[in-house]
Amino acid sequence: MKNPALIFLAAFLVNNIVLMRFLGLCPFFGVSTAVETATGMGMAVIFVMTLASWITWIVYHGILMPFGLVFLRTAVFILTIASLVQLVEMFLKKTYRTLYNALGIYLPLITTNCAILGVTFLNIDNKFNFLNGTIFAIGTGLGFMVVMITFAAIRERLDLAPINPSLKGYPISFIAASLMALAFLGFSGLFGLT
Amino acid sequence: MTSTRAMVVTLLVVAIICSVVLSFVYSYTGPRIEETQKELILVGLKEVIKADIFTAVVSDTVWEAMDSTNNVLGIVFRVFPQGYGGPIPIMVGLDLEGSITGIRIASAAEGLKETPGLGVKITEPDFRDQFIGKTLENILIKKDGGDIDAITAATISSRAVCNGIKQGIEKYASYLCPPFDKCRVFPEAFDFTEIIPEVLWYAIKENDTLGIVIVGGVQGYAEKIEFIVGVADGMRITGVEILRSNETPGIGEAIRDKVFLNSFKDRIPDAITGATISSKALIEGVQEKIEEFKGYLK
Amino acid sequence: MKRLSIFTRGLIKENAVLVLMIGLCPALATSGTVRDGFGMGLAATFVLFFSNIIISMMRKVIPNEVRIPIFILIISTFVTIIDYFMQAFQPDLYRALGVFVPLIVVNCMILGRAEAYASKNPVLNSALDGLGVGLGFTLTLTVMGAIREILGNGTLLGMSVFGEGFKNAPVIFLILPPGAFLVIGVLKALLNKYYK
Repeated sequence: MKNPALIFLAAFLVNNIVLMRFLGLCPFFGVSTAVETATGMGMAVIFVMTLASWITWIVYHGILMPFGLVFLRTAVFILTIASLVQLVEMFLKKTYRTLYNALGIYLPLITTNCAILGVTFLNIDNKFNFLNGTIFAIGTGLGFMVVMITFAAIRERLDLAPINPSLKGYPISFIAASLMALAFLGFSGLFGLT
Repeated sequence: MTSTRAMVVTLLVVAIICSVVLSFVYSYTGPRIEETQKELILVGLKEVIKADIFTAVVSDTVWEAMDSTNNVLGIVFRVFPQGYGGPIPIMVGLDLEGSITGIRIASAAEGLKETPGLGVKITEPDFRDQFIGKTLENILIKKDGGDIDAITAATISSRAVCNGIKQGIEKYASYLCPPFDKCRVFPEAFDFTEIIPEVLWYAIKENDTLGIVIVGGVQGYAEKIEFIVGVADGMRITGVEILRSNETPGIGEAIRDKVFLNSFKDRIPDAITGATISSKALIEGVQEKIEEFKGYLK
Repeated sequence: MKRLSIFTRGLIKENAVLVLMIGLCPALATSGTVRDGFGMGLAATFVLFFSNIIISMMRKVIPNEVRIPIFILIISTFVTIIDYFMQAFQPDLYRALGVFVPLIVVNCMILGRAEAYASKNPVLNSALDGLGVGLGFTLTLTVMGAIREILGNGTLLGMSVFGEGFKNAPVIFLILPPGAFLVIGVLKALLNKYYK
């Protein structure tokens, strides 16, 4: 699967990070209560995901591999992401105050977003080169955002609907997510992608 | 408010301790991980053909299967045809006549990505056993004119298995030659006509001469080393095998290592460290014979 | 008996997945079979237990400003340990769990307990807390794994449950991603209804 367009499609739809790979679920359920917040989170994720995959790719191929330190991958990657998020937060706070205020609370949450760390690991496991890794990260991030926004729209409606008290809240959200995942399962096999 | 120095020091100390601990863990588990993987492969190999010893002929792809007395019983090869959900890892055993002795497909637990409940049924004995005894000609599902029963609603997976096995046989059956035979050192050819008895043959495929096969001898460290070498037109070595040698076991006998002999196909290899005399003798002997008979090449 | 309540709290009352709604990613991704769910649960419990202990032991020495990076260092060390040991001794399980083994490091459950409890409490209590939360997590994953495997594949731990004649998987849906969401939704609904 070396074709960049296929990599993008696979990351965006066929192997959608949330609905197929089960990564990024905590923010997915936590932040998707309204379309606006979902959009903000989505953009933050795309941004951090792409930056993180660049830096971790360089660190892995430039430092860990040549020096035989592959076993430090987990620790180094998560620390890199945590530092990256910290730096981005400080930078935004000083330079783009409005953007910082909009994204502010979401940024620290992104550190423990398994989707970010997951993408950096998958870049290595799939043996992507730098360009393909970037496309993979952007495709994944977009897939995350699109699904979040769609889900938020659904949840906004669910909040207003009459639902059995035991199902209200998380249970009905999970069931709605289940139906979304079922729909996305239909993308399997698109263009011969797994 | 702790001093910056205290912060940095604690961070560094923790980081160093963690790295040290992890490098110990890595050095302990690393070899064990490799061993486990080798064990798993051996289990797989034994499942597809009844043999005792397996030697890699093409690294991680083709193995020669032998019984405990070093008689070659056949080969095992691995293919990864693209199935419905991803590559399907298949191990295929072939006997000396080229018919399948067994196939093994990785299970879902081992990474098979076919559809659960449907495509993964290709791992079940009912499907796999159909392939035993089949040869290249009749590996097709019923829909494509053969007599393999595909899995209901999993045609793509079933067909992928057939195609993968067929391609594998086409690619690797040449390794099936009986030992010490000319076909071992010249896989592309199907026939050999004698030029000089016991010494020189033409290698032929469909009435076309592809090259020559030479039998030669050279003085090794202990005794004479007899070898057979195939050379295609354009002075390309197609294979080298040792017919007879009695070099020092564990040292000079390293010339029999298949990876070393296979490397002749890329370029004349360097002598083997620790077995310089034996390996240099072989290398020079091969080059001498090629010089002697190169006139028979196109 | 206060010690005991520290342990049992994590099992049901403050169950990570079904009550606190954390650690969802591995819960949904690795609960396809009992073996996978149980294996993942134990791996996470291992990390949680030991990192709680170490962090608790060091709680007086860790400077507050850099505590998160240090927690992360310690947690990722244990994650790497279980990663390599699983590769060496349980390769099948490792291949099944895939990327979720190293992802244990961002399981909010582990960092959460370190921050909320282990860094402020004595070692024995932290150990019990870690054990309780971890086992509660394992319990949830195992139950989900059982439901999805028995109904979705007709097997339990790889052994056929409904007999040989039952060749086709009854409710394949449950093994696939949508099924995971459905099972956890139903479990949460049941919990809401019967456990107030």
